[in-house]
Amino acid sequence: MRTTVEQLNIIICGVGGQGVVLMSELLGHAAVLDKLSIRGSEVLGMAQRGGSVVSNIRIGSEFHAPLVPEGRCDIMVALEPSEALRNVKYLSESSLVILNTRKIIPFTVFIDKSTYPELEIVIKKLNEVADSVIAIDASQIAEETGSLLSTNVVMLGALFGIGRIPVDVETMKAVIRKSLPARTIVANTKAFDIGYATVNSLLESQTGYLVSRQGIEP
Amino acid sequence: MLGNEAIARGAIEAGVGVVAAYPGTPSSELTQALVDAAKDIDMYVEWSVNEKVAFEVALAASMCGIRAMAVMKHVGVNVAHDPLMTASYMGAKGGLVLVSADDPGMWSSQNEQDNRYIGIQGYIPVLEPSSAQEAKDMMADAFKLSEKFEHMFMLRSVTRISHARSDVVLGKIAATKRKGHFEKDPSRWVCLPANDRKNRRLMIGRLSRIKKAVNSLPYNQLTLVEGAKQGIIACGISYTYVLEALRWLGLDDKLPLLKIGTPYPMPEELTKKFIESVPELLVVEELEPIVENQVKVIAKDADIHVRIHGKNLVPLIGELSTRRVVEAVSKFVGARPPLNFTELDRLGEETEPLVPSRPPTLCPGCPHRATFYAINVACRHYKRDFKIEPVRPGDIGCYTLGYNPPLNSDDMAICMGGAFGIGNGLSHVIDAPVVAHLGDSTFFHSGIPPMINAVYNKANITMVVMDNSATAQTGFQPHPGTGSTAQGAPAPKLKPENIARACEVEFVEVIDPFEVKKTIDTIERALRFDGPAVVVCRRICRVLEQREWKRRRKTTAPYRIDLDKCNDCRLCITALGCPAITLEDSNVAIDISQCNGCGVCAEICPVDAIIQVRSGWRENNC
Repeated sequence: MRTTVEQLNIIICGVGGQGVVLMSELLGHAAVLDKLSIRGSEVLGMAQRGGSVVSNIRIGSEFHAPLVPEGRCDIMVALEPSEALRNVKYLSESSLVILNTRKIIPFTVFIDKSTYPELEIVIKKLNEVADSVIAIDASQIAEETGSLLSTNVVMLGALFGIGRIPVDVETMKAVIRKSLPARTIVANTKAFDIGYATVNSLLESQTGYLVSRQGIEP
Repeated sequence: MLGNEAIARGAIEAGVGVVAAYPGTPSSELTQALVDAAKDIDMYVEWSVNEKVAFEVALAASMCGIRAMAVMKHVGVNVAHDPLMTASYMGAKGGLVLVSADDPGMWSSQNEQDNRYIGIQGYIPVLEPSSAQEAKDMMADAFKLSEKFEHMFMLRSVTRISHARSDVVLGKIAATKRKGHFEKDPSRWVCLPANDRKNRRLMIGRLSRIKKAVNSLPYNQLTLVEGAKQGIIACGISYTYVLEALRWLGLDDKLPLLKIGTPYPMPEELTKKFIESVPELLVVEELEPIVENQVKVIAKDADIHVRIHGKNLVPLIGELSTRRVVEAVSKFVGARPPLNFTELDRLGEETEPLVPSRPPTLCPGCPHRATFYAINVACRHYKRDFKIEPVRPGDIGCYTLGYNPPLNSDDMAICMGGAFGIGNGLSHVIDAPVVAHLGDSTFFHSGIPPMINAVYNKANITMVVMDNSATAQTGFQPHPGTGSTAQGAPAPKLKPENIARACEVEFVEVIDPFEVKKTIDTIERALRFDGPAVVVCRRICRVLEQREWKRRRKTTAPYRIDLDKCNDCRLCITALGCPAITLEDSNVAIDISQCNGCGVCAEICPVDAIIQVRSGWRENNC
């Protein structure tokens, strides 16, 4: 086991059916191949799909428990805006949030049992708590590369794009190639690369959708 | 590796020969991993019809010298409780292990019972792992311990072990292929009063030998700190939270620790040593104060004066976490919590109203949605005509999600098979008719005896079997109605309607719930029928059907809203709650990425405003 890497608490959240669990499995698999100590667990409700899903991933040899403690998340990857807000208690002032801006509005909103917040409010709220928020339309990217189903892979690329994940990018991509259906490999590899490049260039240029404590930079 | 997979691996390393289980979250992946492994390893794995049968299958294999395990969720153990309470009288021959996957926090269960109590009640030693790695090691050891002491063991997992992932160091796979052989020994195997008076003495003797031995098991660990005034005892997964809490508080290595891996029987010698070393201690464990109470008894019996904290500081309700433990430990040691949790909770409360409620829902195209719609309409018609509203007992499965709005399908639900049993009771005390529903796997599991009871005791109820040809909720495990076994062998396809007819139910009808009007009519006739009625609503689970389409490279056309016709009554939204039906600019719209063309919304639309995008196909698989 490599013991010298940064200890990272990662939360991946989204809606059932978006591939949150698969995304954690892929990352976990790559981390094991790279001889990293990794723990994690998913919190999901009863259904196959449709409900909220939270996956905890903890990379580093100092962790024992499978769950990220509240207030101690280093990086949050939110596949859906309101789900980021639902898990705001995990964040701290040093957290980084990567947000997919595509909303999935639950039917409770259509039957007037609840309301859905504006994207700006979501980002503002997250920004009040976290250090920075990177908002990208990962679903759009996924659709352009072939299928909405690749949204999770775009977000995985985005997660690697921030440059803090101690797993080798090539290991990660090899796992994607090995684990996902053969006919989707080209699209998924592209999805990963674009997710990676988008976030990477946002961080370098400090423009686009990057929202830091200083406010929204168009 | 998933905790459940790690446990499965441990069983394989120990050379398990027979595995029997009934699916239930969070236990299901464990057996599934063994089903997958059985392709390469010579072992017998079955999905049993219910947990009682599963345990009996494993018990019989143990009698014949085979290493055997039964796997189930915590409430499943209740179904197996009858044989379980006597199994320890017999003792084990081949290693016998019950895996109970408990669900603190009730992530997918109707209660959070603590099955360590069942261990105590049945003289079954309980191994409780703190990590996936330990779960694997314990599982392999459980078989060896079971054979060494000729006694069955329980491995108690929890959601945070079974559904946690971590790196696991694997061991060697034992080559212990055994042939089952039953040696007659009636005074041991026949549980009659005379035999069991003797067997009870033998059982208690075995238990006392196990009690001594657990002190030297690696799963119980004592770390003393000289001169310490306070110490912590932690059991199972709670141990990991304690380690993290102590580090967070900067107290690692400052407090003596006793890690408990065998909450029953407790390692008494280690416990005594520990409580003699400190004047005050905290017991951290999830759910019930099982270790805590035993520590109190040990201290009292040994006349050791020590202040014992436990459930006065550690929550009794729900799953523990590093946060909950760090709060308890902070109070215990008199330190400030390392984080302002009050502020954090305030943030959570402040944000909550902004976040839309997102309850899990039935999938788009789920046949259960159509059945619930039909039941609801039939009940409304009945109320209109007879001025009395039918009562609708529900059950455990995907269809429990119908409870949520807008289907609001359940008036009560308690356990597997409970819908029909509760229905029996209701029919004798209220005037309202009863329409109870459960799924196909649940019907085979525990729906048949209450159906027979309804015939025998003349309970005038309607029993709806929502037959989607799968144990869908837990991951599509096969069952007696699916035509194949766990290991993929073909099997007879039992049909609920044939069983109902054989049980002399007079009103038995089978219907495809996608034929909405016919289904409503059938349920209405069943409600009006004098005597027990069975309606089988048969349509394969849409997820399975879509997998089949994918394999055959087939698709079905989605539907769309014809806005010229739509009168915005929103019945499709308010009566069905299908995730594919949404609003776009205040108009009803269908999300074609989610719609899989079931057409139920089109059938219920009063103005025929929902039409298929292009001509599609649909098959009646009734």
